[in-house]
Amino acid sequence: MLKLRLSGLSCGVCGNFRIPMPIPRSYSNSASSIALSSIDVKPKVPLYLRPPSFSASVSELAKWHKWAKNLASSVGSTFVNLDNGPDSTLLRRELNWLLQDLIELQHHSKILPRLESGNNENLDVSVALRAPLEEMYCVWRQRIEERRPFQYVVGCEHWRDLVLSVQEGVLIPRPETEMIIDLVEDVALNNAPELAQGVWADLGTGSGAIAIATARALRSHADGDARGRVIATDLSPVAVAVATSNVQRHGLEGVVEVRKGSWFEPLNDVQGELAGVLSNPPYIPSGDMSGLQAEVGQHEPIIALDGGTSGTNDLLHLIDGVASMLKPGGFFAFETNGEKQCRFLVDYIQNEKAGRFGDINIVSDFAGIQRFVMGFHR
Amino acid sequence: MSSSMSKRLSNGSFLISRYIRTKARAFCSVQPPDNFLDSNQISKVFDPGYSSILHNSLKKTRWPFSALPNSSFLGPQNQHSLHPNRNGWIWAREFGSQAAMEPCTSDGLTVDGISSSKWTILEESESDWKSHAAAIAQSIQVIKRRLQWKKLMVRLDLLSAELDKPDLWNDPVHAGKISREHGSLMGKMKEVKAFEQELLEHIDMIKLAREENDTDLESDSMKALVRMRRDSKDKELEALLAGENDSCSCYIEVQAGAGGTESMDWAAMVMQMYQTWAQRRGYGVTVVDEMPGEIAGIKRATIKVDGEYAFGYAKAEIGVHRLVRISPFDSGKRRHTSFAAVAVIPILGDGSSRVQINESDLRIERFRSGGAGGQHANTTDSAVRIVHIPTGVTATCQNERSQHQNKASAMAVLQSRLDQLEMARQAQMNSQHTQSLTEISWGNQIRTYVLHPYRMVKDLRTNYEVSDPDSVLEGDLDNFILSYLSASLDKGEDERQD
Repeated sequence: MLKLRLSGLSCGVCGNFRIPMPIPRSYSNSASSIALSSIDVKPKVPLYLRPPSFSASVSELAKWHKWAKNLASSVGSTFVNLDNGPDSTLLRRELNWLLQDLIELQHHSKILPRLESGNNENLDVSVALRAPLEEMYCVWRQRIEERRPFQYVVGCEHWRDLVLSVQEGVLIPRPETEMIIDLVEDVALNNAPELAQGVWADLGTGSGAIAIATARALRSHADGDARGRVIATDLSPVAVAVATSNVQRHGLEGVVEVRKGSWFEPLNDVQGELAGVLSNPPYIPSGDMSGLQAEVGQHEPIIALDGGTSGTNDLLHLIDGVASMLKPGGFFAFETNGEKQCRFLVDYIQNEKAGRFGDINIVSDFAGIQRFVMGFHR
Repeated sequence: MSSSMSKRLSNGSFLISRYIRTKARAFCSVQPPDNFLDSNQISKVFDPGYSSILHNSLKKTRWPFSALPNSSFLGPQNQHSLHPNRNGWIWAREFGSQAAMEPCTSDGLTVDGISSSKWTILEESESDWKSHAAAIAQSIQVIKRRLQWKKLMVRLDLLSAELDKPDLWNDPVHAGKISREHGSLMGKMKEVKAFEQELLEHIDMIKLAREENDTDLESDSMKALVRMRRDSKDKELEALLAGENDSCSCYIEVQAGAGGTESMDWAAMVMQMYQTWAQRRGYGVTVVDEMPGEIAGIKRATIKVDGEYAFGYAKAEIGVHRLVRISPFDSGKRRHTSFAAVAVIPILGDGSSRVQINESDLRIERFRSGGAGGQHANTTDSAVRIVHIPTGVTATCQNERSQHQNKASAMAVLQSRLDQLEMARQAQMNSQHTQSLTEISWGNQIRTYVLHPYRMVKDLRTNYEVSDPDSVLEGDLDNFILSYLSASLDKGEDERQD
């Protein structure tokens, strides 16, 4: 019987190994409302940062690895066909990353190739692990059978050059969103270097990804002693706790301030003074929520995804607010659902906010989808 | 020997005096003497009395030293003071034509002379100085052949002349390249010269010790010869890897030939062979790009091999590898022949002149995309493909954990591919070592691996073969690599002499 006593990685319904039915919406809602109601949220420690205080022999590890690989291979393209989920190749790559996080870095070069090659020497040599092997059986089953996102399994997401802690209740930062930082650097800071000394805001910060990467960009563009800073806001106490711990781990306590609250609410003290406002708000139209990929729809926080009927509820709120929050010359960039939302927002800005913004642009992501709307306050 | 010798010289005046007597004889002989000590160093090492005697005699016989002013008795640490900064190359220009001047022992024995005496080479354990000397001299000749000695001397003259041009630094990039190449060739040349010099000095010491019945000195010198004999084997190996980019890290790329799953499986086996080979050599190995086959194996893959001389060794593997076996994917159990092409690309250091990539020439795209993306999708797949529009060269990386890092890795691959294109364009002679996968013709087979009906791996270039394919496929490649490298360099030298 597998142990359920698990410190960092929650093992949930581990004893139940049936292929899960799609979990009803109410389940996810109740899960997130539980998280929201708890006042004192203690962020979980990602696997790669936990002490290597467990061990297993090479043969036990190899046995687990073989089992996990077979489980990954059994998926084939089932998930791809079902909801554009991961295929076996991707799952096997994730398995390698799980191993990398499980074993201390200095042993990677010795252990990892051995598991692949099936070398039979020194099978009883013991390997230090950051989690017990029983837990690895458990979490890999969750990954495959419950479609629990890989990033929640290992407790972190590699994003740009950062490794950010993530856990249930916090949106996993997407690769597309990395480009917001390129816009900050290439568009805002290159055209208006003085913005590097101002106060920036990341609204609905989640894990703190945008806020932390922006703070680092401001630092590298800083001229002399004058330093810019970033205020990150989020309504969710889990997000606030996780973002705060990510800020600390990146040594940015003095530069990024995490405030709890909805969108602009916690920012009364900097009204009209912001140098930049960035956000990846919920933008999925409510109607699309039920058809989402299982990793997203069944595990990630609805509150960070559902943007109302057309998906633009929060984006419109942000555009309404940003006019009064930005100082003249200030920059904004928001992520959207795609071409339709981008065009709608640009129309809205040009008609409803005529004359208040300039250099309005739509920027596509690397998949060629129009993803970002950005501009400068006049 | 330098340090032990100089210690001996500075401590024991007895030995010094004997040594100087021998040297004085040498100066009088008809043979041009080898350079023993430069006058500057003598005053440091010897007491004033000896210094003045030697100084005078050296002054009179100054000319023959010019051929080898740097291979001083005191070893390389003192050379810099003798030839500060740019003077280092001046002498090479002035005396480069005299570089053929052979150093020799006090009684006129040269390294070539030792070789042509055909002294019997005995086991290393036999304490016979002639045998050691002959073995070392033989190695020196191998080393010189591998370094393409005569070509190297001509090139050095040419580079020295180039460096001497007053307008050289008008083009700093060109000047940097010339002076780097000059420095590197000069280093190789000096090392061999110093090794020759050391051999001759030990022979002198042994003869002297015998004359004086000094058994300590004789056994010390004998030990020194044995050590040189061992070192010479390492130097022979080093000389195999003397090419311009040999010391670089590299990418190894493997592509499956036609033939479906069987050949994709073969490509994966070849890739696995290089991964274990590289790991065994202590190199860092990272999979950068991998296109898996539908059922098994890989269509194509790129690994990065990090470490000194990775390119120097791996370049010997460029070409098509052929497998003959009963395919496990054929229910009819028939024998199949499959092919996998291997390309190796050096990763040039920052010092080298690299192709400038213009940001606006690049198109960056998500490698596998589909669906709405953004918040709709949770994927750990953030692979990107970068296309260099003017050349059509592309690079992909999907094994990093963030898109940012995948992009950076793909950029590094792209940079190396463009550097390789440029190298091939600039130096036709080098092109066989810089071919990309697309340029390698499927007819260009270099090695055959037979698992059935008999078992054998045979290199078609050198005819080197082994009867244990498993060990080769497990990465035991060094003998194949070394036999190819030595064969190709020996061939190169012969061709040059024709």
